[in-house]
Amino acid sequence: MLGSLFRNPLRRPPRQDAFDATMLGSVAIALPAPSGITIPAPCAAVLVDRGGRSRRLAAGSRIAALEGETAWCVHPGPYSCDLVPFASAPEIGLRVSFAVDASDPRATHQRFDLFLASEAGSAVELAGFGALAQTALQRELAQGNLELPPCTTLEEWNTFRSGFNQLMYTRFGVTVDDCVPVDLGAAHDYPALLEARLAAQAVPVTAAASAEPAAALTAEAFVPACEDARALRRLFLELPCLMCAVRMAVLPADQGRFRQHQELLRRLDLVSLSVGTMPALELAAPGRPLAPEEQLRRARHTRRAAAALDEAWALLARMKVAGEGPLDVLFDEADRIVANLETETGARRVTHVQDEVAA
Amino acid sequence: MTAPVLEASCRSMLPDGSMVTITATRRPRAGRADVKCSVPGAPAQAERMQQVVRLARHTEPRYDSRDQVVLSADRAFDPASRDWELAAVLADRIVRGVFQAARPVVANGWSDAWHLGRIDGRVLVNVPDSVLAGGPDALPHLGALTGQPDPVAATASARAWFPLHSGGDHDDLGWVDVSVRPLAGAMDSDDDAISVPDLDALRQGQVRAVLAGARHFDGRGQGQWKTTVRFGETGFSGDSYGLALVMADRIARGREFMARGRVIATGTSSAWHAGKVETVDALAPKCALILREAGPGDRILLPKAWESALPQGMREALRARGASLACVERIGII
Repeated sequence: MLGSLFRNPLRRPPRQDAFDATMLGSVAIALPAPSGITIPAPCAAVLVDRGGRSRRLAAGSRIAALEGETAWCVHPGPYSCDLVPFASAPEIGLRVSFAVDASDPRATHQRFDLFLASEAGSAVELAGFGALAQTALQRELAQGNLELPPCTTLEEWNTFRSGFNQLMYTRFGVTVDDCVPVDLGAAHDYPALLEARLAAQAVPVTAAASAEPAAALTAEAFVPACEDARALRRLFLELPCLMCAVRMAVLPADQGRFRQHQELLRRLDLVSLSVGTMPALELAAPGRPLAPEEQLRRARHTRRAAAALDEAWALLARMKVAGEGPLDVLFDEADRIVANLETETGARRVTHVQDEVAA
Repeated sequence: MTAPVLEASCRSMLPDGSMVTITATRRPRAGRADVKCSVPGAPAQAERMQQVVRLARHTEPRYDSRDQVVLSADRAFDPASRDWELAAVLADRIVRGVFQAARPVVANGWSDAWHLGRIDGRVLVNVPDSVLAGGPDALPHLGALTGQPDPVAATASARAWFPLHSGGDHDDLGWVDVSVRPLAGAMDSDDDAISVPDLDALRQGQVRAVLAGARHFDGRGQGQWKTTVRFGETGFSGDSYGLALVMADRIARGREFMARGRVIATGTSSAWHAGKVETVDALAPKCALILREAGPGDRILLPKAWESALPQGMREALRARGASLACVERIGII
C-alpha cells in the first residue's frame, strides 16, 4: 500500500499533469484521466483494460486503475453540434443536442464505453466526435437508409428523427435530445467555399494533367501501419459486441428466419475469428518482410473492413427501429455487409493478389 | 425492391456512326475478381475497361462484394477514341441496379478522373439527340444523371425535372439546369448575373423574376452568384416549371436537402418572395406521366392543392418503386 503510494508519482507520464477538467462538457467529451484523481461532480470515469473490457466509476470516487487499464473522465453533457447532412449542400444543416448515455443496467456493455475503448485514441473532442457523427449520417443518407429529401414533410421528418436517434445511440451510445434543421449560411459560406475550391484546382491542373489517373488514388495520405492497427483493433473489439447485439435485435419468427439468423451469426463469428488471428501487416511469412506496396494494399483492405463494420452498426440501428415488415431487405443488407467483411478480411490475409482481367 | 437485373447492355457510337455494344452480366462472385472485361482481340483495352469501371465505382456510396460483373464488347475499339468508357461505366451501373435507364442507352464520353465521377469530354463531334453525351457542355459528371451537384467542382450545378406540357401520352419530363459560380466583386443588381441562353427575352425575364423572388425569400444568394440556367427542351408550355427551377436553384446553392434520385416538380407561384407554392392545371395527366417516369430515389413535389385529388394508389405505387411524394405549400425548411 505504502509502496504503491510512493511509486505512483514516478510512473506518471508527463501529460497526466495536464488534466484539465474545465474543458470537459464544453469542447471535450472525454479526457484521459490520471490514476488517483477524484472524479469531478457531473462526470463519470470509464476504465478500459487491454482486452477492451470496461467498467464505470461514479462521480466523487477516486480513480484507481488496475494494471493495464486506461482511464477516461467522461462528462455526460449535454452537448450541441452542427452536422451537415449532405456534403454538397453545406448551407443547410442539423443542430443536434445530445448527451452521453448514463450507464444502462440492462446492457452487458455500454456502447459509449466501447466507443472509447476501440476508437478514442486519447481525448474525445466535441469537434472530432461531430465529424464522426456527420460521416455516419452522410453515409446513411447517401445509401438511402435515412431519407431527408427536399421539402421534407413533418411525417418524413419524424421517421428520419427516429432513425437518426437510433443510429446515434447504436453507433456511438449517445442519446439525441433535440435535432432541428438550421441555416448554416453564415458559418459555411458556399460561395467562399467554391472560390477556395477553384483556387485549389487552378494550381494542380497543369501539373496533374498528364499524370496517370490512378495516381491520385495511390497518393492518399495515410500511414499503413497506424491505419491498419486502428482498424484491426476496432474490428477485434467491436465484432463480438456487434454479434451479441445482432443476436438480441431479432427474434426469429419462424424456422426459416431462425436459420438465416443463425447463419449470419456463424459467418460473423468466422470473421471475428479471422480478425483475431490476423497475420502481422509487415510480414509475408515468419521472418520474411512484405513489400511496402503490399502493406499498403493490406491496410486498405482493413480500412474497408472497418467501413463495413460502421455499416453493420447502422444496420443494427435499422433493425431495432424496423418492425417485422422489412426484415427481408434488412437480412439482405446484412448478407451484403457480412460478405464485404469476409472479402476484405480475406484479402487482408493474403500476401499478394493475382489480378486477372479475365478471371 | 426492384427485381434484380442480370444482364444489361449499353451502346456507344463510333466516329464513323456505327455502334459498339458493351454487355454487362452479373453473376455470383465465387471468389473471382469483382470485374471481368473482354474485348475481342485487344487485351489492353479490356484492362483499361476494368480500370475505368473500378475507378467509377469509387463514387458509389454502397459497396457489394457478392457479385461479379462481366463486361464484354462486341468489337474492338479504335485505340485513339475512348468514348466507350462512359458506356462501360453505365452498363456496369445498370446491371447492378445503381442506375435505372428508362430506355436503351447510347453513351459517349471519356474521363481522366473516373474516381471523382467527372466526365472530361467526348470525341464524337455531331452528337445525335438520342446519344447521352458526356463532357463539360452536356453531362459533366456521373451525379448529373440524377441532377446532383458535383461535390468537387468549383461550379455548383443541379437539375430538376418537370412535365414539359400538360401531361398526356406524348409529353415527357424535361430538365432545367441551374449552375452557379461565385461572383467575385459586388454587383448592383443580381438580375444581370442570371443568364438564360436558351430562351426568348420574355421567358428570360420570367426566369429571372422567379429566381430573384425565391432568393429574396431565402435571404441569401442575392448578388453572390453568377447563374446560368439551361433547359433540356425549350419547347415547353406554361409556367409550371417554376417550382422545378426554384428547387434546382436551391440545390445548386447548397441550401436544400437532397434526394438520392431526381427531383421532379410541378408548381408555380405568384409570390416566390414569400416562398408560396401555388397550384397548376392538368393534375391527372401529369400524375400519370410522373407515375410512368419516376424511378428509385426520385422525389416528386406537387402543389398542396393537389393532395386531396391525387389518383388513388399513386403514393403507394411510387413508394413501391422507391420514389417519394410530397405536396408542398411552401419551399424551405419544414
